Amino acid sequence: MTSTPDLAPASPATLRKPVRAPQKGTLRKTSRHPYRAALSTARARTGLVLVGAVVLAGLLAPLLAGHGPTDQSGLSLAGVGTPGHPLGTDDLGRDLLSRVLYGIRADLGIIAIAVPVGAVLGCLFALAAAAHPVLDTLVQRIFDLILAFPGLILALAVTAILGPGRLPVVLVIALAEIPAFGRLLRGGILVQREREYVTAARVGGSSGPRVLVRHILPNAADPLIVQVAVSLTVAVFIEGAMSFLGVGVRPPEPTLGSVLSQSMPYLAQAPHFAAGPLITVTALVLGLSLIAEALNREVRR
Amino acid sequence: MRGYLLRRLPSALLVLLGASFLIFTILRLVPGDPASSLAGPDADAATVAAIRERLGLDAPLLTQYAHWIGSLVTGDLGPSYAIGGQVSDLIADGLGATAELTVAALLFVIVLGGAFGILGATSRSGWVRSAIRVTTTAALAVPPFVSGVLLVLLFAVVLGALPPGGRVSFLGAPDLAAQYLLLPALCLALPSAAVLGRYLKDGIERALAEDYIRTATAAGVAPRRLLWRHALPNALPPVVTLLGMQTGHLLGGAVLVEAIFAWPGLGQLAEQGLSRRDYPVVQDLLLLLVAVFVVVQLLTDLVYAWLDPRIRWE
Amino acid sequence: MTELYPSPSPSTGLSRRSTLLAGGGSALLLGLGLTGCRSAVSESSSAPEETGGKPRRGGTLNLAVNSDFVPALLFAQSGQSLQQRLIYNTLTRYDDALTPKPELATSWTYAKDGRSITLKLRDDVTFHDGRPFTADDVIFAVKNLQNPVRAAQLRSTAAAVNGFEKRGDHELVLKLAHPVNNLFDLFEFMIITDEKTVEDAVTGKKLIGTGPFKLKKWSPGSGLSLTRNDSYWLPDRPYLDGVELRVIPQADALISSLRSGQSQLSFAVPGKSLGVINSDPKLKITNYDTGAGAIYLGVNTTIAPLNDRTVRQALAWAIDRDRLLAQTLGGYGLASAAPWPKSSPAFSEAHRTHYTHNPGKARELLKSAGHSKLSFPLLHIGLPGETAIAESIQYDLKQIGVTTTLEPTDGATAQKKLISQEMPALWSMGHGFAQVQPSTLAVSAYPFNEAKNTSKYRSATYTKVVQEAWTKPETSAAEANALHEKISGILLDEAFIIDLVVRGQVQVNADRLHGVALNKFSYLNLDDAYLV
Repeated sequence: MTSTPDLAPASPATLRKPVRAPQKGTLRKTSRHPYRAALSTARARTGLVLVGAVVLAGLLAPLLAGHGPTDQSGLSLAGVGTPGHPLGTDDLGRDLLSRVLYGIRADLGIIAIAVPVGAVLGCLFALAAAAHPVLDTLVQRIFDLILAFPGLILALAVTAILGPGRLPVVLVIALAEIPAFGRLLRGGILVQREREYVTAARVGGSSGPRVLVRHILPNAADPLIVQVAVSLTVAVFIEGAMSFLGVGVRPPEPTLGSVLSQSMPYLAQAPHFAAGPLITVTALVLGLSLIAEALNREVRR
Repeated sequence: MRGYLLRRLPSALLVLLGASFLIFTILRLVPGDPASSLAGPDADAATVAAIRERLGLDAPLLTQYAHWIGSLVTGDLGPSYAIGGQVSDLIADGLGATAELTVAALLFVIVLGGAFGILGATSRSGWVRSAIRVTTTAALAVPPFVSGVLLVLLFAVVLGALPPGGRVSFLGAPDLAAQYLLLPALCLALPSAAVLGRYLKDGIERALAEDYIRTATAAGVAPRRLLWRHALPNALPPVVTLLGMQTGHLLGGAVLVEAIFAWPGLGQLAEQGLSRRDYPVVQDLLLLLVAVFVVVQLLTDLVYAWLDPRIRWE
Repeated sequence: MTELYPSPSPSTGLSRRSTLLAGGGSALLLGLGLTGCRSAVSESSSAPEETGGKPRRGGTLNLAVNSDFVPALLFAQSGQSLQQRLIYNTLTRYDDALTPKPELATSWTYAKDGRSITLKLRDDVTFHDGRPFTADDVIFAVKNLQNPVRAAQLRSTAAAVNGFEKRGDHELVLKLAHPVNNLFDLFEFMIITDEKTVEDAVTGKKLIGTGPFKLKKWSPGSGLSLTRNDSYWLPDRPYLDGVELRVIPQADALISSLRSGQSQLSFAVPGKSLGVINSDPKLKITNYDTGAGAIYLGVNTTIAPLNDRTVRQALAWAIDRDRLLAQTLGGYGLASAAPWPKSSPAFSEAHRTHYTHNPGKARELLKSAGHSKLSFPLLHIGLPGETAIAESIQYDLKQIGVTTTLEPTDGATAQKKLISQEMPALWSMGHGFAQVQPSTLAVSAYPFNEAKNTSKYRSATYTKVVQEAWTKPETSAAEANALHEKISGILLDEAFIIDLVVRGQVQVNADRLHGVALNKFSYLNLDDAYLV
């Protein structure tokens, strides 16, 4: 159910049975508790620490980095531990520590916009789908269209049309997230609508929108929280894949994906070039998937 | 059932029509054009104009669109602009290569994922279980474009055991073809195998925790029998559904893996076609992908309808 | 072996055998190919037996390329021209001193006024389909290149031929509208193809030529498969049974295919990776003086203040060509302010070092033109190598107060902008055609074209000098030198194309491969190649 078939694999967290109805057919007033419980598991704590560390490093980049991320020098491919360059330098003699730190910043900036935009749009589509059968068909076909297009080809085309920069990256990520959120919420609403408590509320005289907002949405929204964590990892992968195709953020600004893709030709002779971004991406993705997993377990329970 | 199909057909056709229009428009919006792409970096205006005329790009857009739809209806897709050869041949070749890669990857997913799941759930050795945990976590956390390069580095550069890229036909030399297939298939399969393994592990663990299994264990039924006869069959159905979805991911993920391993499949063809502005190749290929998707959706809906009696065909 | 496990906990133990079974299953699949009867890695390095260094028949050469053959560009200079001289022949070929040597043409005589040339052709040549080669095939080849659809860079030279006079099947007079001094560039460039199948050739269906190898199969995306032409006109040639061009886009993979002996020849190893090759005793590196085109910074001369020559010269002084060469090309190439490679008759050390890295002087020039801070867009192709070059240029320009915004662009879009004069203020790219007659650069490479170029630079002097260099018949060496001097002088002084580095043309081959040659347009000649 992840929306980006060709950019990232599905994470286990996206695959779940339909969300079960609350046990006693009542509104789940205690819905905050499962999340708190989920986030206090060891798994989630590890995830939070990993993500927190990466995010903090990115936020503090100007303080931690000793050089500008685009300052070049004659010192190419210096190794780890070179004086002044703890992570070494890249092919153009730029400080890798500051490129990675600023790269985190750039990535965070992108995914912090793209994922919410995709999520909101997807949810709006789902609400539209729930409102009327004709709209439902239309929305489903739109999701089909988005899913059917190979994401990387879409990324190439969008960037060629819009020109380089953050906008196409954000747009491609958001577009890829729309069906994921949309399908999840639509499915959730459909399931919840058939539950007894909803029927009861409706019979009890509640209006359609009121039933939707007060009764259906809070219960259908659980998987969405998990999906946010999953989507964040997918977003990191998409940014990286686009950098690999040369259609990412405008150089020389670093992103995790662009530093990683620049390091690939030097993998054999200067493996340290790839190590910094690779470890960072892995930590970030790992942390996010641990959190997603922990949330998913609680939600499923 | 026929009635149901007939009712679904218009909306499927509508999607295809919409997609064709979208594809056509997006391609024309992309700057650069096939003629100047073919003309080379030193061409003058006369060269570009001559090539435009030859390709029929001087005709109005609507005519070009009609010409394309016409070619689809007659089934004669015509020659490619820049890659060379007939579009239908190019797509058929690419489809074969992509299918080969996907099927091989699917095998890997089943075998590796199965091993991860069963061992992860039942191995007594904590070491094995952690090793599987680490492997599946890494398989999911390392982006495929990196894992691909790492695989090439390890198996082709350091060990020199496998070819780093390319494809050999299974018809001529199946043993060599398998070796060319191994790395890309593995790279493509790893994330999905990890997902499958984890899901299977969860399923088995849950099944083994069910009351009747506890009872059976207490009654002295062999754990192996419990696993293969009871726990696994119970854990399998959702895994099969999952496998179906992962097949879609494999097909999509093939685009990136093909680029890393020079695997001449549909993804490579689409990327090449787009980068050279080979309109016919990209148009037909993208529409084919949409069509496949629509058909798969239709089939899925049919199966669901068949399984769920509440959905009526009539 | 079946052991009972007492606890019904979720992590119920399995018997060892089941564990082995499950693990073995995946190992089996992993080993599917590995345990096969042949290895794909060692298979391709099977070779004829040792013969003590003497040429020997047999063996298939695997040639690693990083991009596929593009049939639509068969008659144009494209990124991948290696197969041209394998399947086809040309009329003549240059030696290292740019003196033409016979190929399909055995001898030639220029008329005194330079307005016609008489060619004598080989009479023992047949096409791959058995048809004999005659003067008509040369006439077709020239007319074919005159057709704009073929996008041949030397079309202007082909177009100068305005009359043909056949004297039998193997003698031909080409009449020229005006004398041209790069006719042998054309003869080096123009492949002789079969007229009947030319439309099948540009779609890759049939490639019928007179060359040493015949097309067996072209698999788009994977490469070309060629077999020996048993009735080749050179006796006992070629030595090889076949050539396989294998597309390996990823540099690491390409290098490992060379190191493992899977392929024996490549011209596509990036300079920055050659260090790895150097340390391998089984591989040989050959550096060609012709270079592989040049990297330049283009300037749109219609955008103020770049219409001021002084500003353009400041840019030329700002760039650290040596650093660019070392950091982006691994040092393989020649830092140069002029377009010419070392093999060119126009090459001179003074021109090469006309501009060096001198930011102080650059700032001074900017100041004298009344500027201190400027900012421009800088377009480049969005591939990793091209991006690194643009980033390097950007950094150097920033040091003199010229800030640039990089515009990574996909190849097709960049090409369209290039040939339709739509480039922004600055762009960085590569050009070719400086490796043959210097006049060819100005009439065949679009960025240097005197009549219409990307920089929108025009001057009566430039046009006059270029036309003179191109159309002057049979000039003496001293006269030619003086003209080349003038062209270089204008290019350097006007700085509408700021040359940075002449790329290295580097061949990497297995030490058991001998007799490889390239022509000036990078057509691979394997007539005398053999494997030991």
